[in-house]
Amino acid sequence: MKLNESVSTQEPQDLYLPVMSEVLEVKRLTELETLYTVQLPGGRDLGHQPGQFVEVSVFGVGEAPFSISSSPTRQGVFELGIRRVGLLTEKLAELKPGDKVGIRGPFGHGIDLEKFKGKDVLIIAGGIGLVPMRSLINYVLDRRDEFGRLIICYGSRSDQELLFTDEIAAWQEDPDVDFHVTVDRGSPQWEGKVGVITTLIPGLDLDLDRTVCCVCGPPVMYRFVLLALKSRGLPDEAIYMSLERRMKCGVGKCGHCQINHSYVCQDGPVYHYPDLKSLEEAL
Amino acid sequence: MDLKFLASDRVEAFVSHLMQQKTVYAPQHTGKHSVALEKVDDPAAVILDYGRTMQSVKKFFLPPRDELLSFDLTDHSFTPAAVEPLDAILLGIHSYDRAAIDRLDYNFSQGHPEKNYLTRREGVVWVGVSFEPDEFHFSGSVGISPHETAGFDAFLTRVREGYLVEVLTDAGRELVSGFELPPAERPKPAPGHFHQHIFLPQAKLNEVMAASYNNEIWAEMAEKCVGCGSCNIVCPTCYCFNVEENVDITVTGGTRERIWDGCMLREFTEVAGGEVFRGGLAERQRHRVMRKFKYLSDKTGHPWCVGCGRCTAYCTAGISIVSIVNRCVSDFEERHTTAM
Repeated sequence: MKLNESVSTQEPQDLYLPVMSEVLEVKRLTELETLYTVQLPGGRDLGHQPGQFVEVSVFGVGEAPFSISSSPTRQGVFELGIRRVGLLTEKLAELKPGDKVGIRGPFGHGIDLEKFKGKDVLIIAGGIGLVPMRSLINYVLDRRDEFGRLIICYGSRSDQELLFTDEIAAWQEDPDVDFHVTVDRGSPQWEGKVGVITTLIPGLDLDLDRTVCCVCGPPVMYRFVLLALKSRGLPDEAIYMSLERRMKCGVGKCGHCQINHSYVCQDGPVYHYPDLKSLEEAL
Repeated sequence: MDLKFLASDRVEAFVSHLMQQKTVYAPQHTGKHSVALEKVDDPAAVILDYGRTMQSVKKFFLPPRDELLSFDLTDHSFTPAAVEPLDAILLGIHSYDRAAIDRLDYNFSQGHPEKNYLTRREGVVWVGVSFEPDEFHFSGSVGISPHETAGFDAFLTRVREGYLVEVLTDAGRELVSGFELPPAERPKPAPGHFHQHIFLPQAKLNEVMAASYNNEIWAEMAEKCVGCGSCNIVCPTCYCFNVEENVDITVTGGTRERIWDGCMLREFTEVAGGEVFRGGLAERQRHRVMRKFKYLSDKTGHPWCVGCGRCTAYCTAGISIVSIVNRCVSDFEERHTTAM
């Protein structure tokens, strides 16, 4: 094969220019996390899949990837749930409605919804991993007939750090959602389960033949969740995982998000678990 | 092949002839021993007989600092950076550096073709020159001869009395037209011998590297490596970059620039919150070498190392990429012999 035989025939593009977009709403979720509602110029649809991300930038501060938290079924605006951990996110926390941010994307390989349709959908979200999983959860809720059961396991460090508490309350009430939540350390007011997220998995009511699972959380969580899912007998083919890396460009050019031979911004961030097994650095 | 002859005492005149057509960039001394590809102002300053430049031609298409846009902090507007075609003659380029550009072309054309790089790539006329392999060159082991003419418009092969000139494309023909070059009186000589070799054909390297993931060599190299990233910065096929904001002293505006980055630096894989996905030097050495000999070659069928020897020549800790790969080869062969 010659090197130039495999290249794209598309016209070269301006890949790094942001689209200036308006922040419509800013909602504090916890002490650290904020939910932003953002609108592209003219209310244009972002056209994303659950699991995809955008690059968000503030001039003079920087640009970083953030997963999209809203479902594509809710068009016209999109939501980003962002934790305050660095320079850019501190700056984002100062944003007020009407302010502008730069948006590039959506980027990456999201959840292959065709593989999820007609199946029982099991979502395992640890901490801030609920932010992208909320996109899938609301997609399933908005297209309820297209999916089987919706089972959600959510683990948080503490009850003060629980995200989307009003939505959680609604999922708990909804007879159509099998929702489980646990916290590592509960406050005196906490009446729910205490323990790491894997403690939720043995008790789940699963139909192994028709379940697909998507896992998203901190790096340390994946191995333990995989072990717990395996001991329940869930086949590897039913498991999808969303990985975090430093996707600086989002378009497969800058090299930062590379895991062995795979670029997370191109092949991921949502991977089918059987494909991840050849990526030694993945977990 | 129509072979012409350029006598040593006519090289300057030849460079002047090229300068009349387009801007010429060629190797020139920047110090007593260092040679760099710079714009030619004085045809006598061009050096066609050299070992290697510290930076390859990559710097013209992917500059070390590359403005992407400038922004105005008063109204949050921005202006895309103007990107111009290089539109120049690159003279005196070695075959491995031309091969490296094929690889960069691939990276910036596949998937989402990138305007910045591809615009700069336009209008280039390539004039190659043969090289005499020194103690670091090993491009022969990755299939690139010192006489390889692929990708060049014209190619100069060094002989004792001057250069044999091969005109390879229409652009090359246009370049030499009007400059009298007599037919060469002898055929192209055999290329010089390499002093550095990878002890296995390139086609088999993928298998060896795949089996070398857990080799002890990575930990051993981590003992020597200081993680400075020099190997990345001098590599002609390393293209990774970071993006930075630079705010003016007036704090009313600034620029967003991409700058070269290197996978040997610890911060390369660091994400917000402090997680570093390749924290150890062993993992980073492995990633660098695997990227050249496995990850990108699996994808494209071509090794991403072109055998220029720069990463070894400029390593601050004396690490040799040829030694690393040969150690993987010998350990692989030993295991297989033992198995039989």
